[in-house]
Amino acid sequence: MTTTLSVLIVDDDPALLQALPQALRLRMGGVTVETADSAAAALERIAAEDYDAIVTDIKMPGMDGLALLAEIRTRRPDTPTLIITGHGENELVVRALRGGACDFIQKPIDRGYFVAALYRAIRAHTLNRKVKERQVALESCAEELERLVQKLERPPRAVPGKAES
Amino acid sequence: MPETAAEERQTTVADPGAAMTAEHRLRAHVERLERRLQKRDEQRRAMLHIMADLSEFNKRLANQRKAMLHILADYEQDRRRLARQTERLDNSRRALLHILQDSHMDKLRLEASRKAMIHIMGDLRETTAEMQRRERELRDKQEQLVQAGKLATLGELTTGVAHELNNPLNNIGLFVGNAVDLIELAGTEKGHIVRELYHAMQQVRKATEIISHLRTFGRAAPVSREAISLRQVIERALSLMREQLRLREIAVTVDLGPEEPVVLGNAIQLEQVFINLLTNARDAVAESPRKAVRIAGSARSGVVEVALTDTGHGIPSGLEQRIFDPFFTTKEVGKGTGLGLSITYGIIKEHGGTISVVSPPGAGATFLIELPLAPAETEETSP
Repeated sequence: MTTTLSVLIVDDDPALLQALPQALRLRMGGVTVETADSAAAALERIAAEDYDAIVTDIKMPGMDGLALLAEIRTRRPDTPTLIITGHGENELVVRALRGGACDFIQKPIDRGYFVAALYRAIRAHTLNRKVKERQVALESCAEELERLVQKLERPPRAVPGKAES
Repeated sequence: MPETAAEERQTTVADPGAAMTAEHRLRAHVERLERRLQKRDEQRRAMLHIMADLSEFNKRLANQRKAMLHILADYEQDRRRLARQTERLDNSRRALLHILQDSHMDKLRLEASRKAMIHIMGDLRETTAEMQRRERELRDKQEQLVQAGKLATLGELTTGVAHELNNPLNNIGLFVGNAVDLIELAGTEKGHIVRELYHAMQQVRKATEIISHLRTFGRAAPVSREAISLRQVIERALSLMREQLRLREIAVTVDLGPEEPVVLGNAIQLEQVFINLLTNARDAVAESPRKAVRIAGSARSGVVEVALTDTGHGIPSGLEQRIFDPFFTTKEVGKGTGLGLSITYGIIKEHGGTISVVSPPGAGATFLIELPLAPAETEETSP
């Protein structure tokens, strides 16, 4: 990954918005971390920028993490979204995973686990993108090939004299 | 005598010689007669005197008779009056007799009643003793109930508090982890590390506050009375509820005016009152389009009045009285114990105050609490 990664963290706790970005900066070299203290603020940021990953808390006043996840899925279907949950909120975790979250992180957050999960998500996302790019490239190659094949198939009829000479 | 006169006449006739004697004898006879006559006349006169006297006497008698008749008439009248009185008296006597009879019956009945009364008194004394025992039991039970209610409130709070504790703990872990990373990353500035640790300390303080608050709240402390600031009580209750209210987007406004109302009471108990009311308000506004709770207070002449108003569904009319009954709840099974308001009522009453509820149709409920203010001298010494 040569380009710098950008991550958006959404949580209503200002202390967490201080601690978690710092942890990511320390553990993931060259990462850009942005924060939003509400789902509404997060949606504004998402509209402006295409993040490599979004991390959001579930329990927030107003629009909660699950609703935000649904919004992200429609606006940025490719961006991997991770969910932060409290301990023992299994039901919420299942709902988040069904709603399209690519992973979940339980509080209290284990930084090693968190960074690994984030990398995994981003890698999956990049690989996905690469797969798509390759697919597009392959498709264009296939088209090219098809055109070539068509070109090769045409000459015998178009220039019969030449073939005989 | 006439015989002798006749005899003399015969002799005279028979014997002329004898006429001289006869004449003599006659004269004597006449004299005798005249004497007799005289005597008779005297007698007659005496008789006349007597007759006159008698007539006089008779007249007097007649007068007396007349007077007597008058007296008799009077007497007759008196007699008649007396008879009437007698009759009346007789009637009275009879009536009295009746009354006496009745009174005797009454006395008998009274006696019976008295005896019954004595029995009842005996029973009553036993009942009173029983009542006192029951009352003591009730008071014990009530104390247990208050503790149970406190624990129930605590249980309700636990979910919110667990969430609240989880956050600072999580943040502490992150800050400390960052500090560790910074230290391992040789050559980092000391200031950076200190900053992370400082943040961690702040979070530790936050968690400690929550824990210590919970501990004092749950303790079965002896119910002491001291001067306490109502504002502080409300603030502390809100601090336990804040996370829950915030997550549900319930706006809370507190307006206690410029005064600093101080009441004589138990801080923990009063805090429980507001936690209970806030919990109810929280559940009441769950489905409302506008979610708000307003606590307004004002002090006047020895009393502080606090109104807690929510924008919830209100209380169905007819239930305003029942909601303070123990175990009465309109919440779903398993959602409420039905103890909150009954304990709240008990606490307010114990503090010499009153609590009531008004819930106009179509609007939220308002709980009105009135508490006596602490006397002025304690007010000055309180913090």
